[in-house]
Amino acid sequence: MNNGTKIVTIPESATIEEIKDEIRDVKTFYMSLDNKKIDKSFKIKSGQFIMCTVFGAGEFAVSLPPSPENDRFHLTVRKVGSVTNALHELQAGDKVGIRGPFGNGFPFEEIKGKNIVYVAGGIGLIPLRSSIVHVLQHKKDFGRVIVLHGARTPDDLMYKENLKEWQAFPGFETYITVDVGTPGWTGEVGFVHTLFDKVNLPIENTVAFVCGPPVMFNTVIAELMKRGLRDDCIISTLERHMKCGVGKCQHCAIGRTLVCTDGPVYTYRQIKTLGEQI
Amino acid sequence: MYLIRKDDILTIAKALSSDYQIYGPAVEPLSGQTFFDPVTDLGEINLAAPIPAAPPKSVVFPQTERILSYRYAGGSAPVEIKPDYKEQPKALFGLRSCDLTGIQCLDRFFLGQEFVDEVYRYHRKKMFMVTNTCVKPFTYCFCVCTDSGPAAEEGYDLNLTDIGDYYLVESGSAKGKDLCEKLKLEKAAEKHRAEKNSRIDKSISQFEALSTESKAWVSRVMNRVTTGFAKEAVWEYVGDQCLECGACSFVCPSCSCFNIADSCTASGSCDRLRTWDSCSYEGYSRMAGGHNPRKPVEDRRNKRFFCKLSYSQSKKYLRPGCVGCGRCNWVCPGDIGLPNVAKYIRRETTSREQL
Repeated sequence: MNNGTKIVTIPESATIEEIKDEIRDVKTFYMSLDNKKIDKSFKIKSGQFIMCTVFGAGEFAVSLPPSPENDRFHLTVRKVGSVTNALHELQAGDKVGIRGPFGNGFPFEEIKGKNIVYVAGGIGLIPLRSSIVHVLQHKKDFGRVIVLHGARTPDDLMYKENLKEWQAFPGFETYITVDVGTPGWTGEVGFVHTLFDKVNLPIENTVAFVCGPPVMFNTVIAELMKRGLRDDCIISTLERHMKCGVGKCQHCAIGRTLVCTDGPVYTYRQIKTLGEQI
Repeated sequence: MYLIRKDDILTIAKALSSDYQIYGPAVEPLSGQTFFDPVTDLGEINLAAPIPAAPPKSVVFPQTERILSYRYAGGSAPVEIKPDYKEQPKALFGLRSCDLTGIQCLDRFFLGQEFVDEVYRYHRKKMFMVTNTCVKPFTYCFCVCTDSGPAAEEGYDLNLTDIGDYYLVESGSAKGKDLCEKLKLEKAAEKHRAEKNSRIDKSISQFEALSTESKAWVSRVMNRVTTGFAKEAVWEYVGDQCLECGACSFVCPSCSCFNIADSCTASGSCDRLRTWDSCSYEGYSRMAGGHNPRKPVEDRRNKRFFCKLSYSQSKKYLRPGCVGCGRCNWVCPGDIGLPNVAKYIRRETTSREQL
C-alpha cells in the first residue's frame, strides 16, 4: 500500500517544469512539488487521482498517468471546462496546487501471473498509462500483456511516443485502431473491440482493464462478456464530478459507494451492483 | 439532576454568555417564525417558541464559508495559502432534540470517518449544548418515528424539561454538571424525574394525531428501500412532483452535501468557499464536458431518499438520515417531504393493481 505523504485539505504548490502538446485540446504537464521534503515522500499508487488547483480558477479531479516507480510526475489533461481551460493557459514555471493522492488504485498484487488486456478508448488511455508502465517495469511477473487503443482519428491517438515504445517492447502486444482513417493512414480502421479477434484475445487467467467514453465502455464490456470473461476480471476506473476528494462533499456518490474513497477503480461486477449509469 | 425556577432560566444562558456566543430560539415579530440565531439580548430567547424554521445546522456548517484563502501573482512568485479555521466558543441554548440528533449525524459523518473534516472540527471544538424537551409536538413533527425525540437522551451538556413552575435540569457532561454546581441550583428529587417522564408520555400521546400517517412506517420503509423493494412507480411519481428547488436539503438538519468554488477579487487574492449544495440540482453530478450520469430528476430524487433511508444507516450516521423534524414536509412545494414519501412507498406496496 501507500505509505507516503497524503495532502488532504490544504493544497501544496507545485511548479510546472515542462508542457507537452499531446493531441488537440490535450496537454501533459510535468511538475514537481515546491516543498522538496513532501515531493520526496509523495508516493502514488497506480490508479489513484489527485485534486489539482489552478490558482484563480478552481480545483478539479484528475487521474494520475505516471507509474509509481521511476517515472516523471505529470498530469495529462484535456481542456473541457473552465478550470482545465485555465490550466491550459499556464506556462512552464507557473504554479498549481496539489492535494492527494486519493482513491483505491488498481490491484497490482492480485493480478500477478495473469494475462493483462488493456482496452483504452481515446483519452481513456491516460488513467491506464500508469498501470501499463508499471506492468512494463515488471513484465516478468505477468503472462501476455496486450494494449489495445482506439481513437476517433489518427490525430486523436494518445501518447504516440509511448505507443511506439510499447510496440517495440518485447512481450508487449500493442495494437492501434481508429474509427475514421485519414489520408496516409495505413493502420486498422474500426472500433477498438474489433481488434479482439486479431489479437486472439485470451480469456482464461486474464484480467481486462477498460477505460473510455460510456458508449465505448458498454460495447467493449458486452463483447468481453460474450467471449466468456468473468465480470470480476474486468476492471475500470470511473469519472465523477468531485469537489473534496475525501468522501465529504458527496458529489461522486454512485450507488452505495463514493468514487473518491471506494473507487475510482471498480470491477465490472461491482459496477453492475451500483445501479447507476456509468 | 437539578431544578431551576422558570423565571430564572435565563441565568443559565447568562452564565454561559461570558464564555460562549449564545444561540437560541427567538420569535421574529413580523413573520411570527422562530429562528435559531446568535442572541445579543438574552431576553429574546423564548423556550416555548415553536420549532425553528431552519435547523441550527448553520452554526457548525455555515451555508457559505471561506475554508482557505490564497494569493498567487503568477510565474515563480510563491503561493501564499492560508487555511481559515474558525474556533469560536458557541452555546446552543434551547436546542430541540431532533436538531441535536441532526448535529450528531453531522458529527459522525464529518468527524467519525477516515478523513476528519478540519473545518467542521474547529466549529465543533468548543460548544455547549442545552437541549429543551418537547413537552408538546408541533404540526409537522414525527421524531417519535425516527428515534430522535421528543426528549434528548445523550449528547447534551444540559437538558431542560418544563415541569410546570420549574425546569428539570439534567447534566449530560462534566462541564454541564460544573455549571449547575457553580450556579448552586437546587437538587431535584425522584418525583421530578417522574414528572418529566409523565410529560414526555403526554407529549408522545399527542403525536398520535399528528403523525399517524408516518408513525412506525419509517423503519419499515427503510427496510424496503434498502432491499430494493420500493416500487419504481414511487420514484417516478416523486420525480414528477419535484421542482428541483433544493429547499428540502437546506432545511434538513442532517443534509451535508457541499460545493466548493474559488472566488477572486481584482487584487489577486482568492477565497475558497464551501457552500451548501443539493442532490436535487441537475448540475450536482454533471461533469465538465456535459456528461451527467444522473440526468433524469427521478434518478436524483430516488438517490436523496436512498441516502436518507438506507445509505445513512449503513455508511454515514449509523441511524436513519431523517431526524423527524418535519421541515421538508413543511417547505416542499411538491408534497414530497420525507414522511409523505414514506407514505407513498407504503401505499404503492399495497397497491390494489396487484389484485
